[in-house]
Amino acid sequence: MRRVTARFYGEVGRKVYRVVAYDNLHTEWEEHLNFVVLAPSDEVKLGIARLKQSGLHNIHAISGSDIESGDIIIPHPEKNLVFVLYRESDMHHSLFLTNRCNSHCLMCSQPPTKNDDSWLISDAIDIISHIRVSPAVLGLTGGEPVLLGQALRTIIDAIELLHPTTRIEILTNGRLLKDENLVQMLTYELKSSVSWLVPLYAHADFIHDFVVQAPGAFEETIAGLLNLQQRQQPIQLRIVLIDPVLKILPELCQFIGRNLPFVNVVALMACEPIGFALANQEQCAVDLADWEAQLRKSAQTLDRHDIPFVLMNAPLCALPSKLWPRARRSISDWKNVYADECNGCSVKEKCSGLFAWHERGWKPTKISAIEETLS
Amino acid sequence: MSYTSQVLPFNYRRLADGVIVALSTSGDHAFLKEEELSQLLSNSIQFSLERQADLRARFFLRSDNGSQGTKRLLKSRQVAKRETIQGGPSLHIIVPTLQCAHSCKYCQVSRSLEDIGHTMSLENLNLACDTIFQSPAKTLTVEFQGGDPLLRYDLVRHAILRINERNQSESRNIRFVVATTLHQLTIEMCQFFKEFNVFLSTSVDGPSDLHNKNRPTPSKNAYERTIEGIKVARQHVGQHAVSALMTTTKESLLCPDEIVDEYVHLGFNEIFLRPLSSYGFAKRNQARLGYSLQDFSVFYLKGLDRILSWNRQGVELREVYTSIILNKILSTFDSGYVDLQSPTGAGLSVLVYNYDGYVYPSDEGRMLKETGDQSLRLGPIGTSIKDLLLSDVQQKLINSSLVDETPGCQSCAYNRFCAPNPVDSQAQFQKTNAPVHLTEHCQRHLWLFDTLFNKIKSADDWTLDLFYRWARPVIACEAL
Repeated sequence: MRRVTARFYGEVGRKVYRVVAYDNLHTEWEEHLNFVVLAPSDEVKLGIARLKQSGLHNIHAISGSDIESGDIIIPHPEKNLVFVLYRESDMHHSLFLTNRCNSHCLMCSQPPTKNDDSWLISDAIDIISHIRVSPAVLGLTGGEPVLLGQALRTIIDAIELLHPTTRIEILTNGRLLKDENLVQMLTYELKSSVSWLVPLYAHADFIHDFVVQAPGAFEETIAGLLNLQQRQQPIQLRIVLIDPVLKILPELCQFIGRNLPFVNVVALMACEPIGFALANQEQCAVDLADWEAQLRKSAQTLDRHDIPFVLMNAPLCALPSKLWPRARRSISDWKNVYADECNGCSVKEKCSGLFAWHERGWKPTKISAIEETLS
Repeated sequence: MSYTSQVLPFNYRRLADGVIVALSTSGDHAFLKEEELSQLLSNSIQFSLERQADLRARFFLRSDNGSQGTKRLLKSRQVAKRETIQGGPSLHIIVPTLQCAHSCKYCQVSRSLEDIGHTMSLENLNLACDTIFQSPAKTLTVEFQGGDPLLRYDLVRHAILRINERNQSESRNIRFVVATTLHQLTIEMCQFFKEFNVFLSTSVDGPSDLHNKNRPTPSKNAYERTIEGIKVARQHVGQHAVSALMTTTKESLLCPDEIVDEYVHLGFNEIFLRPLSSYGFAKRNQARLGYSLQDFSVFYLKGLDRILSWNRQGVELREVYTSIILNKILSTFDSGYVDLQSPTGAGLSVLVYNYDGYVYPSDEGRMLKETGDQSLRLGPIGTSIKDLLLSDVQQKLINSSLVDETPGCQSCAYNRFCAPNPVDSQAQFQKTNAPVHLTEHCQRHLWLFDTLFNKIKSADDWTLDLFYRWARPVIACEAL
């Protein structure tokens, strides 16, 4: 999430605010929400003071260069910082629900912690209340969101109530979903469109368990997928392309085609060079161009079984051109950059680009501008 | 937990060229090396972890303990392989008349135009139409067979109208098929067929010479009249409203390439290289008309090669028999081919309402009757589907088709894909449960599975892509 420097006027607390333009205050104001008015002039500050005097205690003022009207923020006034938790103009929206996880994946971009972070649940509900324009898609992520149990359902219900048109995507390792009762609780009489984004890293237990560093995980995730299928839940399988996975990728795709043909789509995702992935570079720092044959074979296997798939986080110059139509611009806006080499590339507009932290980690291949155009 | 490999039950076969194909209880296959086979058989796994992983994914191996996920997965795979016959009878064949203008020497049932007494009564036709709706199946196919049903277009039309009217309140997904020579087809019929989405299935045995030799008519122009009918149907019912089936006679065996080319020239995108069944008139004339599996296999392989070469040139032509076998091997969604179901699809997924006022479990079942064997009658038309399926005859068919209880099938490598065919057995040996390995059905399908596993093993990328496309289940003439 973005951290942005800001100045605050008056007492702000560590809670969720919506950023609002002064001119729109009269249409957006609601009693149960918190507002900060953006980049106030002296005149505006006076206006806000008057509104407060007249009893509108939920309005404050803020200035900062990278803050937009509609942002949902949490201020850290002691550091002159705000965390931007939600930005309307982003392509991808998600809520971070917990830092805890029951797996320790080799390439985890968000290494889990054990501390109690249950305040993230009430933050999430507050964010949902403060969102002004319902997003088309809202991701629920972590950590492992299903660890929240009943609270996850509460969050889903809040989205359903306040943003009934929003599609919800839950990013889960699926292990806890082996419990049929839990799946029943999470999916019973759902009205919103919910889909489940579940990683699968191998066709055999010992390889998957190694990748997620958790014995028994494969069996649990398979049981979880079957429980989701039983309740007709849409599933996206996610496969992160690191060395031990790329080695067996065609066989994994065959396994999916034979055993999990009910999944809606398979996402093949280049690794994010951050978190545990930095510590496990031997397994994670791959050049996708070296794996072209495996990628082609895997794509062919999925096609043969009529399983739709997409490639994510992989710049086009790392992929055989035959696979370009399957590549998606998937990197969240706030961590998405392009390299110098990308200037002058003819397909930059269609390319995922790079994670902002590739400089500290590695690039998914040697980046080079592509001259011909996409046919 | 421990990841030590435990060997799960499996079967295997040795094929030509030293190929060993092994099949697990999920229906997954693996081509094994000799030493891999012996390690699996002696439960002393020493091959690489990579190979162990591959064989785990195909249910030949699993971890010693704690595998709740894969156990459920295996169960659901096994159920999926056999779920076709769970939905209730979905193919309903009505035989309004045995009259036909052709006098094909291998045909066991048809009667000449002057014949009387081989046509269904209106009362029975109405009862048949109403019985169909007792099936719980959401999707129903109603097929008119003969004889040539268009010789009694009045009955066909009456039945379609009656079923369609009833369906206004039933809202089933109904597909009508008329199997006909198309010689009697008129534009008026076409307009009716178009209105009610009726699909036409005709017979084309090959080029004119062969077709006319196989299908004699007084005017000796069966081929020309059928081709004319196809043209009329395409023009007035729809470009894709006609498909064709061929009968492989002794004469056909000599010209697979010409037959395949004929289908290409006529613009069909499916062809079914199927052998002549050994019943009825054909059986009495076995020496004159019959041929061996060996003869058929040479014909089939040549024909298949020709079909593949057309596909390589960009002409889409799908061989249905190959597709049925590939569907079993390469797809996890069963296309429901009636003859390879356990318990049998005869009765459970097909019912035949015959002109004689009785219901039979399959097209072959009613043909047996014409040669004097009435033993497969399930009951008079008008009997409820529930009672038909509870009849002694049906129970005998079911009990004679259970792969897991049939000696010979129990240890067969292909037992997840195949099943005994009790109706064929009745025709060949006058009992529904003759020892399977003696039946033509078993010998032919063993050969087909062996052959296609060999082809899969040696296939290049292009061929395997095509095989996977063919393996996808489609609703086509293959259910017939």
